[in-house]
Order: sequence, then C-alpha cells, then structure tokens
Amino acid sequence: MKTSVEDTGMAEGTPDIKEARRMLGKGICIAGVGETEQGIISDRGSFELLTEVTRTTLDDAGLQLSDVDGIVTAFSFVESTLMHSTTLADYMGMKPGYFASVAVGGATAPLMAVQAAMAIDAGLAEVVLCVRGDNTRSGISSSGMIAMAREMSHGAYEAPFGLTTIGGYGLLAQRYMYEHDIPQEALAAVVATQSEHAALKWNAMLRDAVTVEDVMADRWIATPFHAMDCSLVSDGAAAFIVTTEARAKNMKKKPVYITGIGEGFSHQYISEAESVASVRDGLGRAGRRAMEVAGITPQDLDVAEIYDSFSFTPLIALEGFGICGPGEAGDWVMEGNAKLGGKLPMNTHGGLIRQAHLGAMHHIVEAVLQLRGEADDSDKTEFNGGNHQVPGAKLAITNGSGGILAATSALVLSSEPPSAA
Amino acid sequence: MSEKPAYTKPLPDLRPEDAPFWEAMKEHRFILPCDDTGKPFWYPRKYAPGTLSATSWTDAKGTGTVYTYSTHFIGPSKAYKGDPPHIVALVDLDEGPRMMTILVKDEDGYPSLDPEDVAIGMKVQIVFDDVTDEITLPKFTPAA
Repeated sequence: MKTSVEDTGMAEGTPDIKEARRMLGKGICIAGVGETEQGIISDRGSFELLTEVTRTTLDDAGLQLSDVDGIVTAFSFVESTLMHSTTLADYMGMKPGYFASVAVGGATAPLMAVQAAMAIDAGLAEVVLCVRGDNTRSGISSSGMIAMAREMSHGAYEAPFGLTTIGGYGLLAQRYMYEHDIPQEALAAVVATQSEHAALKWNAMLRDAVTVEDVMADRWIATPFHAMDCSLVSDGAAAFIVTTEARAKNMKKKPVYITGIGEGFSHQYISEAESVASVRDGLGRAGRRAMEVAGITPQDLDVAEIYDSFSFTPLIALEGFGICGPGEAGDWVMEGNAKLGGKLPMNTHGGLIRQAHLGAMHHIVEAVLQLRGEADDSDKTEFNGGNHQVPGAKLAITNGSGGILAATSALVLSSEPPSAA
Repeated sequence: MSEKPAYTKPLPDLRPEDAPFWEAMKEHRFILPCDDTGKPFWYPRKYAPGTLSATSWTDAKGTGTVYTYSTHFIGPSKAYKGDPPHIVALVDLDEGPRMMTILVKDEDGYPSLDPEDVAIGMKVQIVFDDVTDEITLPKFTPAA
C-alpha cells in the first residue's frame, strides 16, 4: 500500500515531513473539547451557540476565557461577516493576540487545528480556541440555501444544468461503483453501521438503528443516493482548545496530541476531477501524509473518524488513506470491520449522516473523547446515551473534505506525545 | 405560437472571458478553448490552466461519451418542482475535455431522457437549447 507522499507522483513537491514533526514535537495537543446539543435549535442564534460551546469547552479544560490568547473560527451561513473570528471575539469580550477565520468547506475543522498549531509554533499564541457552529438548519433563508447549493457548482458551466451538491457527489460515486463493481448495499452498509453508533451518542439527531434494507428502500434524492445516504442539516456548535503539552500540564484533562497533519487537493469542480483514481489519490494524500508525519501505518490505528458527507465519502477515503485497497472499502464495511468491536471502528459518533453536520468538528471531538477513554455516554441517562468507547484506543485518524472531495485535511491524534520530539 | 413561459431555472454567471462561448452557442456553434499548443481544455478561462498561456477558440464536433451521470430526483431550486427526474452527466468530448451537461431527448422542448435509457459509456451528441433569447445551453442526446 502506498503510504509515502513521494509515491503519489503529484506535482506539488515534497513537503518537509521533518519540519512538521519538529512543530508537532513541541507537544501540540488538544486540551479541551465541547459540543452542544445538535438538531433543530430554533431558540438560539449562531453567536449564542458558539459562546455556549466555548463555556463548555473552557470548563472541560479547566480554563477561564482570559487564559485564551488565540481564536480560530470558521464561517456562518446565517451571520454575514467577513471577519468571523474577530466578530465572535468581540461578542465574547476577548482581545486575542491571534485570530483567523478558516473557510475551506468540510476541510475547515482539521485546518483550524493546523492553523492553531502553526500560530503556537510561531509564538503568536499559546492557548487557541477553535470553535465552529451555526444555526444553519433554523436560520438559513431559502435563497441562502440555493446560494449554498450553487456554491459547489461552477456558476457558468455546471449550475445551469441543475446540478445539486448531492448529485455532484453522485456523479463521482456512480463512476466509482461502475469501475469497481460496487453494489448499492455497500453504501447502505455505511449508513447502517453508523446508525448503530449514533444510537449510543447522546446528542446524535437520528438515534434509531437502521438496516441495509431500510436504506435501500428509502426514497431517491440523486443516484446513487437515497435520503438516508445523505448528511444532515443541523444547528449546533463544537469546539476544541489547542495548546502545548507544557501549558496543558496545569489543565483539567489529559491532553490528546496532534502527531500528524496532512492536506490534499485534486480539483475544485467535479467536472475537473480527472478520474476516480486521481480523486482518491488527492484526498488520500492528506491521510497518508498525516500518518507519515506521525510515523505510523494504517494497521496502527485504533479508531477512524472519517468525513462522511455521503455514504460513499468514507469508502473512497478509506482507500485513499491506504486502510483498504482501491475498490475494497465496500466489502470491508459490509464485513463489519467499521463497527464498534470491528477491526477499525469508524464514525463512532454517527458522523454527518446520523449525528449532525458541522463539517468535521464532531469527528475531531469524538476522536479526542475516544483517546481520553470518555466516549461512554451511559451516564447521560436523560439523553439515553450508551457506550461507544473503543476499549483502550490510543491512535485515531480524522479528516474533513471541502467541496465534492476537492480539498482534504487530515489529523492523526494520539494519547501519547510524538516519539520523534 | 404562444409565448414561451419565463425560464426560471439557473442561468450561467456571465463573465467577460466567457462571452465568445455564449455568442457561439447563440448561433448554435459549439467551440472549445485551446491553449497555445492548440490543446483544447474545459472549462473556459482567459488564460490556459497550468501554463497560463494565451488561448484561442476552436470549432468542436459536439460528440462524446458519457463518463458518469446522476439522476436527480430533486433539483437545486423551486423551479424544478413537479419536473420528472433530470439527468446530470459528465461527457468526455471526442476532442478530449470533459464537460458537464444534461441528457435530453431530441424532441421539442428537449425533455429529460428517461433514466433507464442512460448508461456510462453511451455515445452522445450536442443539441442547442435556446432557453432564453440570450442563452443557449449545450445539452446532449443519444448519438444518432
């Protein structure tokens, strides 16, 4: 299996693995996480949700707002501002020394972590709040929804043909299924697997476990996707705090280390995607590089929180990352390897298709909870939570993809500090 | 003939660099942008992607092969409500570039092709659909 960046033959040059290891060798870690309820939250606005989750996250780390000297945010579909990070800082009464708003669609959350790590490495901040949330479900106007749908299409040469985001993924998925002879059941198996996990996660929107047959019988949205193959639209927020091992020592929770980072890009518009193989390689580069920086192989992973905008999305990512061979991820999931108790439990929180859609924020939060051994929601009896902890999990991979698998960012997270420090 | 109903589906964003393409479409001519070596590319840009060379336009046949498609049961806006499913496709043109289009029957008003009549690898050819007085969209239909 290809695991080194040099193997990919991509033209963008050889990134300096050593330099990434040097930075992460400072013990860059996630020292606190938080997430609000998810779903339809019509009684709270976007900045209110962001503040609510900041309170939870500070509490998790044992910090005061005044301890935070950097803020990295994303964007809002509801609150119109070109200065999202500083608008939120002002709303919360902060005067951060470092601020940035990251906007690369679904790749945003891992990129926020990378942005925070680089700010810390450059001495611009020591404790960086990374926070994303929105009342997308309740707050967006119908014209805003149409604008969001058009956003992923080329305005002149795709949008006029009635392309939707779902159909854009559908174009790639149908070609993938054609080339590798993948049955519809493989997509449904991803949904069924994640539905079992979401049934245990306290704040998942969809708590009922569904079967492959349920998914197959669901109404079509755009081939090859039934409604249940698609991610949710939700209100809610999540956050994590990035700092150094030295600073985290005095905080409340055991730090989770960022030991690998990687990015990959293959195309912007789906018309421009060269081939299934080139898309797999482009997004796969992110995960392969993150693992190379971390000095691990796919076999070392205990848990995988893989971006799942559609049921198809994690399949091609599993292959791109070298966890499965090309065309093999469908069988791998159908064999039960992605389930809790399987070879590599995947999307143990339910993911975008069962928990909520906040880009890859929840994937990062869930990975951190797994590595802290805190992914057991059995005590959250008011939410009917259950145990979705992978016993003894030490190493996780997580990623996010923006556009139609256009731009991907991946992190390797570890319960232990990087060995090459 | 009665007046055509107002066209409410998405229309292309119009940028200055795209004007020659839409002018040609209006005349029912299909053209492709080329780099300075004569190699056609898609989507049109003033300077060629990758090399940023000067570009020119060349006549194209308007024939190709379906690379992939997705049958849309829901459209991107209210204008699609009540329509039968539409089939968005990527077509590999015989000249090389791949472009997005919609697959239709070569009949009055260019209704959507029936989903069961579509397959990856099928040969298709262009039809020119004058959706407004200004805009003609390149749609594709099974090759004769």
